[in-house]
Amino acid sequence: MSKGNILVIDDEDIIRISCKRALMPEGFEVKTAQNGIEGLKMIGEEKFDVVLTDLKMPEIDGIEVLRLIKQRWAEIVVIIIIGYQTVDNAVKAIKLGAYDYIEKPFTPEGIVSVVCRALEDRKK
Amino acid sequence: MKVKKTFHSLTGKFILSIGALMIVGSAVFWYFLIYYEERGFIRNAEKYGYSFADVIRKSIRYGMLTFQPHLVQQTVEAIGSAEDVMRVRVFDCNSRVAYSSKKDEKGIVLDTAKSFCMDQYPKHTEIREALSYSDKKDRNGFKVLNMLTPIYNEPACYTSSCHVHRRGDSILGVIESDISLSVMDKTTKEHKIAMILFVFGFIIAISVVLCKILWNTVSVPISILTKGMAEIAAGNLNYTVKIDTKDEIGELAKSFNAMTVDLSKAKEKIIEWASTLEKKVNEKTEEIREAQAQLVHSEKLASLGRMAAGVAHEINSPLTGIVTFAHLLQKKFDAGTQEREDIDVIIDQANRCSNIIKGLLEFARASTADKTAVNINDILNSSLNIVRNKADFFNVKIVTNYEEQLYCVKADTSQLQQVFLNMIVNAGDAMDGKGTITVSTKNITENGGDFIEIEFRDTGSGITDKNLVKIFEPFFTTKPVGKGTGLGLAVSYGIIQEHGGNIFVKTKLGKGTSFFIKLPANKEVL
Repeated sequence: MSKGNILVIDDEDIIRISCKRALMPEGFEVKTAQNGIEGLKMIGEEKFDVVLTDLKMPEIDGIEVLRLIKQRWAEIVVIIIIGYQTVDNAVKAIKLGAYDYIEKPFTPEGIVSVVCRALEDRKK
Repeated sequence: MKVKKTFHSLTGKFILSIGALMIVGSAVFWYFLIYYEERGFIRNAEKYGYSFADVIRKSIRYGMLTFQPHLVQQTVEAIGSAEDVMRVRVFDCNSRVAYSSKKDEKGIVLDTAKSFCMDQYPKHTEIREALSYSDKKDRNGFKVLNMLTPIYNEPACYTSSCHVHRRGDSILGVIESDISLSVMDKTTKEHKIAMILFVFGFIIAISVVLCKILWNTVSVPISILTKGMAEIAAGNLNYTVKIDTKDEIGELAKSFNAMTVDLSKAKEKIIEWASTLEKKVNEKTEEIREAQAQLVHSEKLASLGRMAAGVAHEINSPLTGIVTFAHLLQKKFDAGTQEREDIDVIIDQANRCSNIIKGLLEFARASTADKTAVNINDILNSSLNIVRNKADFFNVKIVTNYEEQLYCVKADTSQLQQVFLNMIVNAGDAMDGKGTITVSTKNITENGGDFIEIEFRDTGSGITDKNLVKIFEPFFTTKPVGKGTGLGLAVSYGIIQEHGGNIFVKTKLGKGTSFFIKLPANKEVL
């Protein structure tokens, strides 16, 4: 029984792989998508507890993905992955309903802890 | 050449024209004087001539009445021998010379007395004596007065015993006398010569006097003025002409001196303006150059910032990979093993990279400052409190010199604290942990705007010119590798720029460095 079903949306391989390798040993089911469209399609097909999405992506950016998720699947916890210079956008994202943000470069412990905290809060 | 010049000079012209006028005037005067004098002489001569004729007539009367031709001839000869009497003749009515001072003329018939005799005049007609100048001259070339005096018939004549004359005859004969006018001619000639000499003497004297007067009053002052003009034209504006007369030339000299003084002042002013202008132009040029340098510097830092942000963003993701996988590997090795130590090094270095990138992004990031009205003195105090307890500052004396009524500034407290800490830590590093750091604040009003200025002064080694131009560039550091990222001042610069302020440095090698931070302020005091 997995601790939770997690979707990572990022256009960069290394971030997707890093998230997968950090979270999977902790008992999470991790799926990845290369962009917003693919991610939203996957959310439509499968139930996710947590979505980790990058903010800066081609076509649909993280803010748009967040907005669409919150419109249709309000119960999904969304965590934003940001570069340092996009703190403003992170604040904007939280105002739109994101649970938290995590700054790149992050450590495995950092990402596991924020995901765990999000799921616990969700249960409450 | 000199003579020609003299004639062309003002004095020469004056003397020439005055001389010419005097010659003409004197000649006319002289002519009329001589003319009237001569006429006076002639009138006198005539008068004496009549008297002379009368004397002759009366002298020979007795001889005639007594019919003594011999006596008459003697009398005529005696009279004719007198000085200046050239000849005395007595004609009878047949124009025959009856008696003459020159004996050999007796008996000659001449036309001289014809007009008086020959019965052309009615009886008892008053006949005037005829008097004329003959064309003849005496042997010395003087004029001769020729007089013809009629001898009227009178009762004593026609009743005398000789019975020579008839009662009906009106004129019995004519006395002709020639008198030399040598005295008159000589006097006239002498007068003419004297007059000419006088006129010439007068002209020369007047010319000399006039020349002297004109020379002293006109020529000399004009030549002084001309010299003055030449001096002024040559640029010697301190030259003054020395003419103290009270006439028009003196006035001209005064005006000339006043003019040179004015010219001199004007020239000084122009020179002063020129130098001030040059100074101002230099100042402005310097200002523009500084502003341009500042602009270039800002642009350079801005583009460096953009590049740094791009690089940092791109590196962030691979760094995430490194950090994640290093951590995953770390768990697989027990502490104390070589592998674990190696992985720890990877993680440490990755963290260092992460810090560098954070600094870079701070330097380059868009403004997220949360600005509120703050008192800079308070922020400085809290920054100083942080460093005071650090070991690096144990031997550093910190002096504060705050403006108590400091204007308030709209700023992000944490960002400014970051800047101030940076300044203080850099100052400490510059002094190798030993010396004095003076932190001062003051209010400034500049170009109508209010500012506060913060100064961080250290007694460190100073900054070389070569380094001074680079200190705000990212990654520029003089600290040992690993001690400084070279981002502190770059980040500080970015933050102060975001706050609309300015940061600049004054340094003296071996004496120390001052960092000044100028921030726009409100006149309110918190």
